[in-house]
Amino acid sequence: MVALGLTLIYGVLNQINFAHADFVTVGAFTAFFTATRFATKVLGLPDTGGYLLSLVAALGAGAVLGFLVNAAVFAPLRSRGDELRPLIATIGVSVLLENGQLALFGPIPYQFDSPLARETLRFGRIFISAQSLLVVAVSVTAIAALYAFMRFTFLGKALRAVAQDRETAGLMGINPNLLIGLTIVIASALAGMAGALLGPVVVLTPFTGASLIVKAFAIVIIGGFGNMQGTIIAGLLVGVVEAFTVQYLGSGLIDLVAFALLLTMLAVRPTGLIAERKEENV
Amino acid sequence: MKRLGLAFLACVFSSLAQSQEIRIGVLMPISGPGSYFGVMGKEGIDLALEQLKGGVNGYHLQVQYEDSACSPLQATNAVKRVLDQFRPHIVIGEECSDASLAIAPILEQARVPQLNAGSVTMKLTESGYKYVFRIFPNAAQQSLPLAKVAYDRLGARTAVILYEKTNAGNDNADGFEKPFVAMGGKVLAKIDFGRDVNDFTAIATRIASLGKVDVLPTFALEGQQVRLAQALAQAKVVRGGGGNAVQMGSIWLPYGFDQKAGQAAEGYVRIVQFDPNEKRRIVQDFIKAFRAKYGADSVPTHINSHAYDTILLIAEAVRRGATDSESIRARFSTFKDVEVTTGRISFDPKGQNSDLSVVHFVETQKDLSWKGLDW
Repeated sequence: MVALGLTLIYGVLNQINFAHADFVTVGAFTAFFTATRFATKVLGLPDTGGYLLSLVAALGAGAVLGFLVNAAVFAPLRSRGDELRPLIATIGVSVLLENGQLALFGPIPYQFDSPLARETLRFGRIFISAQSLLVVAVSVTAIAALYAFMRFTFLGKALRAVAQDRETAGLMGINPNLLIGLTIVIASALAGMAGALLGPVVVLTPFTGASLIVKAFAIVIIGGFGNMQGTIIAGLLVGVVEAFTVQYLGSGLIDLVAFALLLTMLAVRPTGLIAERKEENV
Repeated sequence: MKRLGLAFLACVFSSLAQSQEIRIGVLMPISGPGSYFGVMGKEGIDLALEQLKGGVNGYHLQVQYEDSACSPLQATNAVKRVLDQFRPHIVIGEECSDASLAIAPILEQARVPQLNAGSVTMKLTESGYKYVFRIFPNAAQQSLPLAKVAYDRLGARTAVILYEKTNAGNDNADGFEKPFVAMGGKVLAKIDFGRDVNDFTAIATRIASLGKVDVLPTFALEGQQVRLAQALAQAKVVRGGGGNAVQMGSIWLPYGFDQKAGQAAEGYVRIVQFDPNEKRRIVQDFIKAFRAKYGADSVPTHINSHAYDTILLIAEAVRRGATDSESIRARFSTFKDVEVTTGRISFDPKGQNSDLSVVHFVETQKDLSWKGLDW
């Protein structure tokens, strides 16, 4: 889901969002405080209900943050017609968010326990936690919903039109800025929810997102920058390759194998698993 | 007129006395995954400085903090900056072994003592540096007792060693493996991982498939240890998850780890150097002062206390007549049985504290409290 948000923004804006990782962290912290403080202590919800509510809160927090950052930073810079400044601004937003969270939450790791992480399904020597199943289920649902939105709704079609040719889409009566904003909001919401799902799995600190983003970039490049289907397949591929690397080669070689795969893909098929078609004006 | 002259001289001497200071550079990770070291370390140092604000032997202890991020590159830049701008008489740090190793030759060349309170790598005090002093037990001092206890007390014959891929992790892993194998034990696997690894499910699955494992010595930072313990419990490998293996750890883990790991930590055996339950007066006074400054519910960790101790040791050197880098180094070299919160300090000729009198084993109980083990 982290990689999906990245590729969505690239597909529409042709721009890499370096702050995406920090949207994930914001989502994780939103979920943490919703689940452990608000839902259970204020609303009196049981642990599982509190955690599920925290997923929604993180989704909302990601969307609001995406909207605000786009309105305050990205949109004004884009309107000047410069492609470099918005790119650099994403780095600035990333540093700002990371250090803001460091000041707010401190560097000591938070213990974010999902009640589902305690439940484990076993198949012989293989086990899977209910939390991991939830991650898969929510990811599949979110991806399916996003696919349906992009494929079958008017807004989704308009969004794809903007991705293909911003100027022509504008001539057809579509407001590109509105749809770019919508893309950032959707991608940020996905990042926020990914943070809520990953919070109980990873070590939660203000730097959590930064540790995930490098792998997300690798997935996006392997899948084909800007292509959703390719990103999904690449995400699964990298996950399976990592699991087999741990089992048969050693966990210390995870990054080596993952990035060897990335370099091989760049050498053999630089467009990624599924190349994103771009119309060229001639 | 005479009276005025005397008053003038008194003012001059008074201001001279006040300007006498011992400058202490502090390199700690304030950002990155090891930044909890920096936060806790600063708490300990600030408390000690507050207690010594009147000065020692007419010297005021002046501190400058730098973020070295547990990283060799950032630590190198930070130490060069602090040497250039602050001109310290002594530098405290770093916490992480790789960063500590990176700054050691620079401080050696500058002839400024390095007082280390958190790195385990053997290389720090085995490389012939004359200005390095370490109060933290090194890898051999931590891993050898773990291997002995695993084999003799727990009756372990098989082990899987889990460690982060750093100098500290490597040295601790080797420090366990060699004596354990020499005693007749078998290491089924040595599994290393980078500091960016967050999900240990695949590693736990692999361990579950290795057959009967008696002990799992683990050397990693707190955040990874929490997730590792939980993944091993989910895989029913360790006692906290209903398995048979005992997870073992070193002084790396701060007090409070058990509460973060939850039930997965039950049965975890580890060595500690600072135990808040210890009855020594210096420990209880420290805890009292710590709570007065940081809140009645706060419990200091070994990181707080090690940092606190570094200032006490510098103050002791000044009390014994140290006035600059060379004399601090000379006084440190003569330290024997200097009492601090983490035990007694006696530096050997290599600068390593040789006193392990308060290092002992604890086991995490069902209610996540510690049970001291008389081993």
